[in-house]
This record gives sequence, structure tokens and C-alpha cells, in this order.
Amino acid sequence: MVIAVDGLVKHFRVSRRAPGLRASLGGLVRRRYDVVRAVDDVSFEIPEAQVVGFLGPNGAGKTTTLKCLSGLLHPTAGRVSVLGHTPSDRSSAFLEQLSLVMGQRNSLFWDLPALDAFMVNKTIYRIPEPRYRETLDELVDLLDLAPLLDRQVRVLSLGERMRCELAGALLHRPRVLFLDEPTLGLDVTAQAALRGFLADYHRRHGATVLLTSHYMGDVTALAQRVIVIDRGELRFDGDLAALTRRHAQHRVIRLQLSGAVPVDGLGLDVVEHEGLSLSVRVDAARTAEVAARLLATLPVEDLAIEEPPIEDIIRSVFAGG
Amino acid sequence: MAEISIRYPALMRSSALAVLAYRGRLVVGFLTDLFPFLLMAVWLTVVATAGPPRGWTAADFVAYYAMAAVLMQLSGQHVVWEWDRDLRSGDLSVRLLRPLHPFHQYVASDLGYRVVSLALFVPGLVLVAVLLPVLTLDLTVTRAALAVPATLLAYLVGVLMASIVALLGFWSTQTTNVWMLFWGLGSFTSGWVAPVELMPGWIEAVAPWLPFFTTLGFPVELWTGRMTESESGVHFVVAVGWALLFAAAYTVVWPRAVRRYQAVAG
Amino acid sequence: MSWRGRAGWSRYPRIILTCWRAAVATELEYRLNFVTGALLSLFWMGWAAAGVAVYFQFAGELVGWTYPELVVVIGLFFTMNGVRQAFLQPNLDAMTEHVRRGTLDFLLTKPVDAQLLVSLRHLYVGNLLDPFLGLGVVAAGVVASGHGMSVVDLAAFVLMFVVAVLVLYALVVALMAVSIRLNGSEEVGQVSFGLVELTRFPVDLYRDPLRTAMTVVPVVLLTTLPAQAVLGRISATSVVVAAGAAAVAVAGASLLWRRALRGYTGASS
Repeated sequence: MVIAVDGLVKHFRVSRRAPGLRASLGGLVRRRYDVVRAVDDVSFEIPEAQVVGFLGPNGAGKTTTLKCLSGLLHPTAGRVSVLGHTPSDRSSAFLEQLSLVMGQRNSLFWDLPALDAFMVNKTIYRIPEPRYRETLDELVDLLDLAPLLDRQVRVLSLGERMRCELAGALLHRPRVLFLDEPTLGLDVTAQAALRGFLADYHRRHGATVLLTSHYMGDVTALAQRVIVIDRGELRFDGDLAALTRRHAQHRVIRLQLSGAVPVDGLGLDVVEHEGLSLSVRVDAARTAEVAARLLATLPVEDLAIEEPPIEDIIRSVFAGG
Repeated sequence: MAEISIRYPALMRSSALAVLAYRGRLVVGFLTDLFPFLLMAVWLTVVATAGPPRGWTAADFVAYYAMAAVLMQLSGQHVVWEWDRDLRSGDLSVRLLRPLHPFHQYVASDLGYRVVSLALFVPGLVLVAVLLPVLTLDLTVTRAALAVPATLLAYLVGVLMASIVALLGFWSTQTTNVWMLFWGLGSFTSGWVAPVELMPGWIEAVAPWLPFFTTLGFPVELWTGRMTESESGVHFVVAVGWALLFAAAYTVVWPRAVRRYQAVAG
Repeated sequence: MSWRGRAGWSRYPRIILTCWRAAVATELEYRLNFVTGALLSLFWMGWAAAGVAVYFQFAGELVGWTYPELVVVIGLFFTMNGVRQAFLQPNLDAMTEHVRRGTLDFLLTKPVDAQLLVSLRHLYVGNLLDPFLGLGVVAAGVVASGHGMSVVDLAAFVLMFVVAVLVLYALVVALMAVSIRLNGSEEVGQVSFGLVELTRFPVDLYRDPLRTAMTVVPVVLLTTLPAQAVLGRISATSVVVAAGAAAVAVAGASLLWRRALRGYTGASS
């Protein structure tokens, strides 16, 4: 097993702060603390070359788990082993085979072109010149980086910067790749491009990949296996197909109507109906058909089709067991 | 050792480029560069008013402060602010993921900045020295042979000292304030406020044993010839001693600092 | 120049005060920073006073300034620097963002009123105590110098203090204008810091040519003249000339500011 997690527990002490000027002054004297149970007794094992999707709502403990696996956090209890190393020991041998990409964190130089950061990575990870050239060419090609390489990172768009970050993270061909919310903040095209790249890269190089997300789409595109985490606890660990078959086979159509209409008796699975807003649940396969019918029969001003929110899936995971 | 130093040039290069890209920092540096000359101006007034204090002539002051200004370019204290900024923002995590001790990442980056700083400052100073022949150094080969390692030691001790204080940031948000207090007190013994010889007797006695003198007064007085070759022996020993002490202290504190980060922040 | 009625003007103090109140409330969250910042300021004042004492091992007075009198100048330096850091520098530094985000455009409609808002809106609470601490040091220096302070001296001091603040304000507004002209250059903000650093010592302590340079760029007005006033050594001529210089400086800076605004918007349309 490349990754082995046994009974992982991670608690944080967080100081409690009330809003307002008076509370701030009061806080000068006394501070109160709460314990946040970010990860509570999580266990799983991941074999080589598997792609695992880590699903859960915000604050579920996904990022905390990833940080424990990369050695950034030391577990409160439990054992973690990655590639035979204890991550929190942070040995060079371990770090040279690892990559953690966090969407909000920037590892490139802000005022310099991405290529300069790549050259620094080459030295830091001790990548021999021929392998560096080969990997860089491949990544530039797959991620379409050629026009971006000599522009300052600060002028790049979020999507472009993400691609450069990814390239920088993969230059040393890590055996283990952790991605924290990689598609967060990207537009639909960029999301699809990123997912395509990751799938392609995995096919070529067989790295063990663990990605966290609160988008179902990330997981369906990339992962064979999915682990669902909620409020620090592991809720589901298994085949993605099983999960989608059971829980994610529907969409939500959100409608903004231009006039009030009665919706009972239309045979719709109504999720929410308030004023001129209407949300309808529909089987994924019949989305287009139902949407067309709604557009034809109701006074629709605006229509949006959404994946079921992750909370729904989680809820149905609890219910289904 | 070799595999660490091999990474320095690349890190220095990118840091130097980044500094040149962001000119604002250079301007700030330039303005603080000039401060020693303000202090010098007042000393020249003292000489004009009351005669050479303890034998220091106007020429002595000019030489001292010119070299002091150069040596101040080599202060390693910026790392305190870099560590603090990355600790507060959580960007330290990015550095911790790399298979190179963050200490080296910050020092290499600082060295790149130093190189740019010196490259911009020294030619200007040389030009002024040529135009105004007040500045004379009378360098001998032996003295230069000693002054160069003294300068390197000055940087080493300075950057080690700053890096250790920077570790406070893992426990406190007041690191930069603590550093400024520490540096401010030390500046009376380093030769910054005034040449150590001109300080009250008790400071003059204590100063050579403290690390601050190593970072400024020691190399400056060697360069200007105020300190003779034979006198320098003791100071080299003190300098190396402080370097070893700081390095040892760092290796002891660092694992605890990382542990703290791994418990709280990540 | 258009003067909109009195009612329009009365809004501005209230607006600015609201901004300041929000700044204070936010900063108290970082309570520890505030306390340690104040302590550090005190430390720097002590540090500066001790540093100057070194010179006095070798002379009883320097160019007519005794040690306590130099301490007065140091106190005034910290006061002015505190005013700069708390009230003016944050706004000067904000110019970079203004130019980058284009938020200057909305000021087109009211060029006169905008200057006050843009130059005073931001407040950096960290240094708020510095001016008061500095004035404390001034008081200590005056007492130690043995000069009795007459009512005339006090009046002259207050006047020169106001002159100094106005000159500093004018300086920063002028730099704001330069910043616009240079497309929001960040370096401009640092120039104000450098210029004020020069006022640490009375101008007499420097020798020519620096001394003449500092009188021409009226840095001398910031600390040397107010110090002379409180120590009863200022001539009536100096007071009048200084007051006049302050008026010219403020008017000149306003002019530069309006010109810069117009130039900026002209370029963007």
C-alpha cells in the first residue's frame, strides 16, 4: 500500500472571538477556546497508481487529511504512512516523491515568469537536465503553456496560473500527487481542461493521486474510487460507480418564472418553490427532456441546471448506509 | 553540504530577478543606505566644534561610515520579515513541502537580494570616492585577506542570528517587534550608533564579545585599518564561536518549531 | 474651483471620522500588536535619545544645541513621523491601488473636496500614539533644558507645530500627485519616509550643502523651527516666513493634485 491511514485523529484548539468593539476590549483580558475535531478516526488504504476522490462539504476535514498525509500537520492520534515514510518526519526522501497542490497557495514567483520557478524547482528537486527537458516539454505540451511561460505570473488568469502551478508540481514526477480543490474558482472550460489533463497524465505516468473536491464532476471525471468525509468522519469508501448509481443520478433544475403558476399536478419532483423561484429534481438521463417541457409549458425567465449539491449526496449516503 | 550549496545559485538568481522586478524595495533600501552618512555628518560637526574625539579625525569618520554603509548592505535581517510574512499567511507550508530546509530557502533568497544591493551601491560609492578624494582606505594585501573572511563571517553570524529570532514566529505574532528591540539594543555595541571606540567605557569593554560587533564593527574596522592584523585574531575566534553557537541553537529549536506548526497551522 | 454650500463641507469630517472609528475597531482585534507597537515606539525614542548622548561625551553643545535641546528635536521628529505614519502614509500608499483599479475616476466630479477624502481616509492605528509620545518627549526635553516657557513661546510653538503638520500634509499630497503622474508607482511612498528621516536632527547639525538643500525643500520647517519656538529661540521673521511657506506649500500641493487628476483622466478618455 502506498498510502495507509489508521485511526487518524486531528483536533485543533481555536480561540473564540465575539464580534463588536466591547467584546474586543473584553478579549484583551480573557480568551476562550473551543476544540475543533477536524478529522475523527479515519482509516483507509490506497494502492499504487490509484486515483481517489475525496468528497465532502466545506469544512469536512478533507484538506486537514491531505495536510496530515503530506507532513504539514502532525496527527493528534492514529498512524499515517505514505510510501513507507511517516509524513510528519518530513524526510528529504519522502518530500522528493511528493507533490501537494493547493489552489489558494502560490508556489511560483509572483513577479517573475513561471519558467523561473520551474528552474528553481529543477535544482531543489535535483532533477537531471535531460529528464527536466523531457518532462518540461511534455507538460508544456499537455497543458498548453507555451504562450504563458515568459509572462509574469501576476498577470496570468486564475486558470492559467493553475496550469503553471500544476506543471511546477509535476516537474519532479512525484509518485504521489495530492490535489486540494484543484478546480475551485475555474470556469467550466478550464475545469474540463484540467480534468482532461489529470486523466491523461495519470494514464501516462501512473502516479497515485488523491484529490479533494466539493464538485461531483471532478470525481466522476477522474476517480475510480471515492471516499466521502463529513464533519471529520468517513462516510463512504468504495467504488465511484456504486456511489453515483445510488446517489448522484439526478440533477436540479432551477427556474426563475416571470409569473406565478401552480405547480402541483404537473408531475414534478419539487425541491423548492418560493415566489417566482422553482427548483425541480429530475433523473439525470431525462434532464434535457424535462427542461424542454418546462420551457414549453411554464413562463420561464431564467433556467439553470445544477448537479445535486454534495450535501444531498452526503445526506443520502447516511440514509442509504 | 555540497548538495545544499548546489541549490543556492538558482535560488539566488530568482530572488535577484524578483528584486529587480519590484523596484520599490530598492528605493527603500537606497534611502536607508544614506542614513549612515547623516550620522557621519554630525560627527564631522563634533570634530569641527570640539576637535577629534579620542583621536578620530574627519578622514577617519568618512572612511568608517563609507565602509559601514557597505557592510550594512550585507545585513541578513530581512529574513525575519520574510519568515514572519510566510508564517502569518500560511505560505510557509509551500516551503515546508520542498525537500530543502526552509532556512536555506530564505538565506539563498536573501543572498540574491544582497548581491543586487551591493551591485547597485558599491559602484556609486566608488564613484563618489573618486570624485571626492576624502575617502582613502590604504589597503594592504594582508589586511584585505583578513577583511574578506571577516565580512563573510559578519553576514553568516547576522543571518543566523536573524533566523533564530525568526523562529519565534512559530509561537508569537510579535517576532518583528522582538527583533527590532533586540537589534536596537545591539546597535549600541555593533558600531552602528557610533564606532565602538567612541562609546562609553563599559560598552567598549563588552561590545567585542557580543555577536553584534561581528556583524558590523569587526569587518569595518579591518577594512579601514582601525583594527590591526594581530588584533583581529581574537575577534575571529569570537565570530566563529557565535556562528557555531547560533547554528547549534538553531538545530535544537527547529524541530520544536516545526512540531508546533504541525500541531496548529499546517 | 467650485465651492458647494457649507452643508456639503460638514459631511466630510463625519465621513472621515467614521472611517477612523472603523480602523480603530479593527485594529483592537490585533490588540497585542497595538500595545507592543506603542512600547516599541517608546523604545525607539529612548534609543534615539541615547544615541545622541554619545556625541555629548565630547562636547557640551553642538552648534548652539545642548543635549536636552536635541532631545526636543528628537521628540518632534517622532511626533511628525507618527503623524506621517498614522494619517498620511496609508493614503499615499493607497494611491498605487487607486491608479491600478481606476477608482480615481469617480473623483472627477468634485476635484476640490476629493483631496481631503483621498488624503485622509485611511488611518493606521498602529502609530496613533506616537505623536502623543513624541510630544511627551518634547516636554521632557524642554524641562531638562532649563528654559522657562513663556506664553509667547507656547503660542509660537503651537503655530509652528501647525505649520509643520501643514507642510508635511502638503508634502504628502504633492507626492500623491507625483504618484498619479508616475502611474501609481510604489516607490514614491518611500520618498516621504526618507525625507522625514532627515529631520531627526536640527538642520544646523548638518553642514553645507546638505543644510541649504534642507532649507529649500522645507524639511527644516518640520522639526527645527518648532523646536526653536518651544525653546524660545525663534525670531518673529522666521515665524512669519514659515507661516507663509506653509500656506504656499498647501496651495501649491493642491494645485499639483488637481493638475495630476486632470492629466490622469485626460489620458484615460
